[in-house]
Amino acid sequence: MADLGDLQSLTSSITAVTSPFRNYLNDLHAKYQSLNDGAVADYIPELALAKPEWFGICVVTAEGQVFEVGNCDQLFTIQSISKAFVFGLALEDHGRDYVNSKVSVEPTGEAFNAIVLDEVTNRPYNPMVNAGAIATADLIKGHSSTERLKRVLAMFQRYTGREHDINVPVFLSEKATGFRNRAMAYLMLNFGMISDRIDETLDLYFQQCSIMVNARDLAMLSATLANGGVNPVTQERAIDEHHVQDVISVMLTCGMYDASGEWCYRVGMPAKSGVGGGITAVVPGQLGIGTFSPPLDAKGNSYRGIKVCEDLAKDFGLHVFNAAKPERDINEWIAGGNDLNDW
Amino acid sequence: MPKVISIHSYRGGTGKSNFTANLAATVAALGHRVGVIDTDVPSPGIHNLFCLEPEQMGITLNNYLWGESPIQDAAYDISANIGLDESGRLFLVPSSVKADDIARILKDGYDVKLMNDGFRSLVKGLELEYLFIDTHPGLSKETFLSIAISHVLVLILRPDKQDYQGTAVTMDVARQLNVRKMLLTINKAHSKLNLEALKQKVEATYGETVAGVFPLSEDIVQLASEGVFCVKYPEHPVSQEFRNVAQQIL
Repeated sequence: MADLGDLQSLTSSITAVTSPFRNYLNDLHAKYQSLNDGAVADYIPELALAKPEWFGICVVTAEGQVFEVGNCDQLFTIQSISKAFVFGLALEDHGRDYVNSKVSVEPTGEAFNAIVLDEVTNRPYNPMVNAGAIATADLIKGHSSTERLKRVLAMFQRYTGREHDINVPVFLSEKATGFRNRAMAYLMLNFGMISDRIDETLDLYFQQCSIMVNARDLAMLSATLANGGVNPVTQERAIDEHHVQDVISVMLTCGMYDASGEWCYRVGMPAKSGVGGGITAVVPGQLGIGTFSPPLDAKGNSYRGIKVCEDLAKDFGLHVFNAAKPERDINEWIAGGNDLNDW
Repeated sequence: MPKVISIHSYRGGTGKSNFTANLAATVAALGHRVGVIDTDVPSPGIHNLFCLEPEQMGITLNNYLWGESPIQDAAYDISANIGLDESGRLFLVPSSVKADDIARILKDGYDVKLMNDGFRSLVKGLELEYLFIDTHPGLSKETFLSIAISHVLVLILRPDKQDYQGTAVTMDVARQLNVRKMLLTINKAHSKLNLEALKQKVEATYGETVAGVFPLSEDIVQLASEGVFCVKYPEHPVSQEFRNVAQQIL
């Protein structure tokens, strides 16, 4: 889009505002804004500061069109959503075989913070549970803790097209209270699954979870995956195209904590959620969705975010295994046809 | 399905607000629920034609754009003001005429997404059949938005060179925005001109339909800016021409 003339770029941003698809998202936002179920995460005080009414929906297409409704500029910490993308970086650093020797890709059905390893291989179950994410963070290359962090931040910048910061109070709180994660790290060290630079790796893990993003960034992250690893707006490559499939597959099977099976069945969009209230969901080849709403359900997934993804999947047939003709044609709604009654 | 009609002119002084008021009132008088929204935030004025005094305007479009109130609260039922009978309804969403308010919106700008969402919730909330958007002359964010959202774009021009050129520019933009239907209207045509020949020439030049030609009318000038001509003098040839234009957007 950067190369378009000024008139074309202005008209394209205006048509994104008036497109029937954005109007659909606007109605969806209004429909679920009043939903007051769920509770904001409060295991550290900084997360409890989030306002329950915050609610943003953003969709970015593989062609780089951006549709946003609600609080799409509000920053929050990425939390577990980082795990999918750091997994991608580990794949780039070491290749699939080596990474798989350290972390399995099997869904657990256990809570995200369960202290459980595969009894035969001693591997953590998958990169989306805390144990697996710590083992994955351990794989990130770099000569110093600073260099490793900078590589992670640079990776997120390639995906989203903008620079990211760490929320330091969140990082320090996670670090100060993360005894369970520390215990898991030592257990994995005991089995030789991670290196002995434990403090450095745990710092990196807590830092990656404390990266500040907004709903638009989340949509851009998944749109980049949907677009084969290239950011559809900046055209910068964020991840080697050969690893995109691995990242998306693990999101589909393990991305929504221990609700992943139900999610795959009902929504069928590879996705990753975080306790900050974010969800990023991929429709391969087509688009990325980012939602932000802090109140969470019992399994730790954003209440309104789930509803939004469910409706989008149903109304536009975005479930990856959908074989029926959807109620609405996504391309038609994005382009806006003369015959479409979106009023 | 509700219809959105944007009335636009490239330059000021074409009689755009007057035209909008008369066309909207004509459609309402045919028994429809009609809304008019004054998006000319830098220089609002159409409220005068609907006999809505600044002191009667509590909440305006400005308050909606600042997130202070729902857009329905800025809508005023002005059916009685202009003497519409029971069958139709006409609502106006005015922009603020307070200097402070105008300065604030020019200085801080506003979210164009909010304007779009406001149009839609106004149509839904008031169950409007037709929404007329009165715009600021020239090209701006709100012009682009109103063109993109419209089912019909009405471009008003006077028969002079500056208007011809500006109209061509606006039409380029409208086509870029994939406008669904475009109509041209010639206003303030001098009585010495052959109106039919003028109409054909403009249609040939732009390749779009001329929906109506309005002569420079002393009758309208005399009544300008107080009340809606078409409602007061329904049998006048000018009112007849407005009904003719209305038929092309219904």
